[in-house]
Amino acid sequence: MIDVRDLRKSYGTLDVLKGVSFGVAKGVVVVVLGPSGSGKSTMLRCINQLEDYQGGEIRIDGVPVGYSTGAQGRNAHSEAVNARLREQVGMVFQSFNLFPHRTAIDNVMMGPVHVRGVAKAEARDLARALLAKVGLSEKADQYPAKLSGGQQQRVAIARALAMQPKVMLFDEVTSALDPELVGEVLRVIRQLAQEGMTMIIVTHEIHFARDVADRIIFMDDGVIVEEGAPERILSGASGARLRLFLRRYQGDYLAS
Amino acid sequence: MFNVLLGNLPYLLQGALVTLWLSVAVVGLGTLLGVGMGILATTRSRVAQTVVTGYIFVLRGIPVLVVMFLGYYAFPAFGLRVNIYVAVGLAQIVYLGAFVAEITRSAILSIPAGQIAAARSLGMRRPAILRQVILPQATRIAIAPLLNSALTAVKQTSYASVVGVWELTYAAREIVERTLAAFQIFIGVMAIYFLICYPLSLAARWSENRLSFSH
Repeated sequence: MIDVRDLRKSYGTLDVLKGVSFGVAKGVVVVVLGPSGSGKSTMLRCINQLEDYQGGEIRIDGVPVGYSTGAQGRNAHSEAVNARLREQVGMVFQSFNLFPHRTAIDNVMMGPVHVRGVAKAEARDLARALLAKVGLSEKADQYPAKLSGGQQQRVAIARALAMQPKVMLFDEVTSALDPELVGEVLRVIRQLAQEGMTMIIVTHEIHFARDVADRIIFMDDGVIVEEGAPERILSGASGARLRLFLRRYQGDYLAS
Repeated sequence: MFNVLLGNLPYLLQGALVTLWLSVAVVGLGTLLGVGMGILATTRSRVAQTVVTGYIFVLRGIPVLVVMFLGYYAFPAFGLRVNIYVAVGLAQIVYLGAFVAEITRSAILSIPAGQIAAARSLGMRRPAILRQVILPQATRIAIAPLLNSALTAVKQTSYASVVGVWELTYAAREIVERTLAAFQIFIGVMAIYFLICYPLSLAARWSENRLSFSH
């Protein structure tokens, strides 16, 4: 479903992505691990064209993202085309990014009502169902300021799901949470995985990665260093850079 | 002690009426102009950004009285005859517009980029993002400073008297010239200006309290 080939991106003279290639089939959950600055978030943001990229190709269901290469070379897609693409790719952010001037349920309704033109009553029913799914029915009329981090993030997930996307992208969604709130968010993500949602998850939660991932990708310095099934990648049989990373993030993870 | 003032009150109140009209026009049109330019400055057009920031930069560096004089002499310099109220009023509108544009621009830019990213990732496009995400929040942020700049603009209408526009301050000085009862006349003028400005300053204080942490 998602096909990334030789993705290259730089900010001015700084090369952030140096030729990243991988694919994600429908229903598969890929977890991306890597140190800060490895380009994981940037890669995610290229997939839904929140960032542009200078080289390579990204396709979702065969449709190119952001640019089309024709006889005349590379043509950037218009914002209209990119916006349509983003309707099918849901994204959840590290800092939640809920709209503070709207209630939880209004946040969830935002996509269907203002992008798809769904009638408010219908959108409200859908939003209620999604809030129930993430376990926040009773918080529907609360403003984000009154919700805990974990609750806000779950609302953010519901908001992304309201657009019924083909793919969900998670950008370090638990990194800004207090430890005791991380579990409630991971539970929702695990449930989505079980329901067969295609997902790319960037995270530092290595135990969670092992649980939920069909495949793990380890990125460092703008390239994919290792890729494979969790059991293999996270066992002792991995390369030096990955072992260093794991040691830093989970201390004695390898020992456990 | 205040006989002269009381005797000349009707004349002063006529002046107050002119000040009121002038204030409404300047604040109304100046705010409209400024908000429009402020929103323009946040679009992706480089031209718009340069024009508006240039406009803000220049006007904030000139005293309002000088702008008013410029307005007064600008039209004749091009061979045009324009009503003095229009000429000086326009100058004030342009001046207020610069301050309002800056307030609007910063209010819009203060909306965290993360929210814009979230809106975009839902498939929202710029007009919807402006209407649903940016403007509702930016308006709340901008109301208190906008009311304050409106208040200042109202008080600045008194400078128009220096350029020769007949309004409250001008009327006051006419009376003082004639009666020499400067103190009581200006006490009266002070009270009248205060009454004109009071609703605005109340609104400004109310908006500071009510809207700052409401979400």
